[in-house]
Amino acid sequence: MNDSKNPLSPHLQIYRWQISSLISIFHRITGIINVMGLIIICLWIGLLFFGESSYELINIFFQSYFGKVFIMGFAWSYSFHLLSGIRHLILDLGYGYEIKITNISGIIVIVGSLALTVLMWLIGRGLI
Amino acid sequence: MKASRKWIIQRASALLMIPLMGWFVINLISIYDKGYFEVMDFFSSDKSKIRMLILILISFVHIVIGLKEIYEDYIQNEKIKNTASNITNVLGITIPAIIIFILFNINL
Repeated sequence: MNDSKNPLSPHLQIYRWQISSLISIFHRITGIINVMGLIIICLWIGLLFFGESSYELINIFFQSYFGKVFIMGFAWSYSFHLLSGIRHLILDLGYGYEIKITNISGIIVIVGSLALTVLMWLIGRGLI
Repeated sequence: MKASRKWIIQRASALLMIPLMGWFVINLISIYDKGYFEVMDFFSSDKSKIRMLILILISFVHIVIGLKEIYEDYIQNEKIKNTASNITNVLGITIPAIIIFILFNINL
């Protein structure tokens, strides 16, 4: 076996769940969702290139209920990843390590990501 | 690549993506369910092409570094880790290259 003796991290089964670990794990999960979303968007642009009939294949999906859920999910995933990334950057700079502050910043990420999603949706649909 | 350089590139690419991705997601919400000609109209403008070019290049740099960090943390087998990294490198170059080629060759 070629396995490294180094321990893997983070040990999801061992950590007691708390807001900081939740934000950290979801930062990675939303990163993966963003990659998958971006690949679907690349496919969308690619089908556009092949003409109207090819585009219709993906347009059926986007015009369906699942298409709306996908776009909303992508907007939320982007919002969460953005806000948790800013939180990580602030932590990397050495600020916000007090337990009370980490809990508050974690809640700001969760609530803020939902608020940002709604805001982008309202702007995008021309409702504000 | 040195870890400190990776850290700087990852954070710099994230900061650069904030306005571009915000612009793209809002426009995506606006046009995702529209017809062929309306979507073509959006991607055909020079403003959209330039912004998409920068967004795609920066986002794939960010994606490749981010995915490799995940492999480093979760994959113990060196052979699997290296294979996953190599596949990510190849896809991280070919996907943006194809999309950029398409973007600059679609016109209404």
